Amino acid sequence: MSSISVNTITDASGGTTTSINGYTPTASNMAGRNRIINGDMRIDQRNAGAASANTINGYFLDRWDVSQITTGKIIAQQNAGSVTPPVGFGNYLGITSQSAYSVISTDRTMITQWIEGFNCADLNWGTANAKTVTLSFWVRSSLTGTFGGAFINYDGNRSYAFSYTVSSANTWEQKSVTVAGDTTGTWNVTNGGGIGIRFGLGVGSNYLGTAGAWSASNFAGVTSQVNLVGTSGATFYITGVQLEEGSVATSFEHRQYGQELALCQRYYFKQVYSQTQTWAYGHTQTTNLARVTTQSPVPMRATPSFSTNATLYAVYAGDSSGSAPMSSLSCIDFTGTNVIIEATVTGVTGFLIAYGYNGSNFYSAEL
Amino acid sequence: MEVTFILRSYEMVSYKIKNTIEMDGTVKEIGVFRSDGWAIPFDPANTDYQEYLKWLAEGNTPEPAEE
Repeated sequence: MSSISVNTITDASGGTTTSINGYTPTASNMAGRNRIINGDMRIDQRNAGAASANTINGYFLDRWDVSQITTGKIIAQQNAGSVTPPVGFGNYLGITSQSAYSVISTDRTMITQWIEGFNCADLNWGTANAKTVTLSFWVRSSLTGTFGGAFINYDGNRSYAFSYTVSSANTWEQKSVTVAGDTTGTWNVTNGGGIGIRFGLGVGSNYLGTAGAWSASNFAGVTSQVNLVGTSGATFYITGVQLEEGSVATSFEHRQYGQELALCQRYYFKQVYSQTQTWAYGHTQTTNLARVTTQSPVPMRATPSFSTNATLYAVYAGDSSGSAPMSSLSCIDFTGTNVIIEATVTGVTGFLIAYGYNGSNFYSAEL
Repeated sequence: MEVTFILRSYEMVSYKIKNTIEMDGTVKEIGVFRSDGWAIPFDPANTDYQEYLKWLAEGNTPEPAEE
């Protein structure tokens, strides 16, 4: 091994486009280059590390959708099995197969992250100027062989299947896939779903394709891939997922915890009431109908869906005499970090303070 | 009980219309309550609303709003 020690490196023309292993420091983003949110699987607002039921079919760790058409085949958990993550990481998403199941043609058991259109618009997919991207990740499985996944657009009619090989069982291995961007198809560039990244864990023939080419299809894996759900107790662990522009898999972009949490909260957050506390202010709109405004940590992607398991009351702000339970709550609009909620209240009028206890409010604007 | 994730359209769900009453007395539909306890706003960018539209397109009918 040798090294160089110089003060200045310039390209042959004297300009500033020198590349190192295909990476150009003056042109390639360093901060913000990873389009994946929670790629290191740190944030788990929904479950705080608890395992899912075997009926899991939706968002699990923040921004990571764990889905199965035929339920009962997998469970998910942050740091399942408590193995040591790869060096530099503290967490991973673990999937464990619950049976020895033979997939049927319509099965699509997979892990997905949808990247919001705003966060991948600059890649110019769907145009002649589509940019090349590189996906990298750390994976560990009890099974070896060829695994599969896919890039997909939100309409589900453009996809690119990819494969990767797990060489050694129960060993962390880093994989990377470089893909020339799709020059056709419709790729959302606003607050809808942009690029989807799928990791297939049990994929039927309807969703399998040949690796390495764009297709007017809805792929989730590659033909003849290993299906985790086929082996009872088989495990699939993943972390350090990064999608970046260019043909080089750079080292994982570690963001600060607060940054990563805020990125996640654009899509989901919860207000936890460990003790009685005020969570919104508002007024009675009409008889028995209140509108209150609460604050989201960051502007959400869309008007969120709302759910609660807390006990919620409203009290007249004038003299705090009497209170009334709030029911039938729903978000009806949002502006910036102001989220407007409508609720049924009976017995109080005027300006209201809303308070809650014994539970949480949940807000979801996931893709 | 923790609410961990949102249902999908291919699961058995039902919806009930949510109305609002504006200050001038106008009544209008502004969302739906889903059977798993989530309130879904009529925002075209909300993916739960998109699932509701698919559910409607499959020929289903929501329950009317409460009076």
